Amino acid sequence: MSEKGISTLGREGLILRLKEAQSKFGYVPQEVMAELAQSLEIPINEVYGVASFYSFLSTRPLGRNVIRICRSLPCYLKGAQTVIEAVEKELGIKPGETTPDGRFSFQLANCIGLCDQAPAMLINQDAHVELTPEKITQILRMYK
Amino acid sequence: MENKVNLTLNGRAVSARQGMTILEVARENGIDIPTLCYLEDFSPMGACRLCVVEVEGSRTLVGSCHTPVTEGMVVHTHSPKVLAARKILVELLLASHPDSCLVCDKANICELRRIAADLEVGLPRFHARKHYYPVEDENPHIIRDMSKCILCRRCVIACKSAGNGSMFSVAYRGFESKVVFGCDQLVDEAAVCPDFDGCIALCPSGALRKPVKIGEERAEKALIIKG
Repeated sequence: MSEKGISTLGREGLILRLKEAQSKFGYVPQEVMAELAQSLEIPINEVYGVASFYSFLSTRPLGRNVIRICRSLPCYLKGAQTVIEAVEKELGIKPGETTPDGRFSFQLANCIGLCDQAPAMLINQDAHVELTPEKITQILRMYK
Repeated sequence: MENKVNLTLNGRAVSARQGMTILEVARENGIDIPTLCYLEDFSPMGACRLCVVEVEGSRTLVGSCHTPVTEGMVVHTHSPKVLAARKILVELLLASHPDSCLVCDKANICELRRIAADLEVGLPRFHARKHYYPVEDENPHIIRDMSKCILCRRCVIACKSAGNGSMFSVAYRGFESKVVFGCDQLVDEAAVCPDFDGCIALCPSGALRKPVKIGEERAEKALIIKG
């Protein structure tokens, strides 16, 4: 009974611990997952299952800045595709990739709740809205 | 004395014990509802949806493996609406399944294939992107081919209840979902489990299978496909 109680508590703490690792290292390294599995007494595959489920947790190293462009319907209708292409052209990488200098990772995200100001994207924690291909160069210049 | 629940099952009045699911009552009364994720004695997953039935007064079809019976319930397990839904579900499962039944080791005992034949699914209508993963055949006790996995989660559940947590977990999300071992590693030679045969026997597709050794006979019965 008490054993079960502890393991349930461990599971509850898992996401919090993964988020901590994410903000500390920029991703969740495999060693951290192994440590978490051991301390929370759950199998490592379960830790990996949770870490890989969430968009804001990464199991692989990312660039210093992470661009997330919304690919949901409202943004799509307002021309998100042209913005995506502008970023691809500017950085020379496709969604899911990281620039060789490690400055940017580029991802597509589902709705980020900024449909009223579509098309929208997040760079790290900052929202950039009402995007046009022309605005991209200037915005990206702000991130080193 | 346990509480009795009276319900109508395919037009017949039956009584059941309180707390039983529709599926359990149906099976007790000799009605065959197909399932791919359901495991007796484990809490239901409700993942495959093949066990859906029509309950009068319900807005949608309900999963019979996780819906308890209630007094006065009127259930149809094989109405045209139910059969159409089941057929589409199997078609969707097959849409991303590799077309390798002809050379699949488990073809003769594949539950997915048997159900597809039973439901007369016919030629594929839907074409989805297929996932191709490397076949994991390094381990002497298990061969894993995740291309054929239908994500029923039986191996995850069964392994979890066998002891210290499961060796397998579902990772990623949506179409990318996959049953992983470790941090999405191949099940290699070093992976050990006291009972790989357990999950292999439960796998309803060709995703988990036992390496057949030379000279060892296959014990399984042949599948009889009608038509």
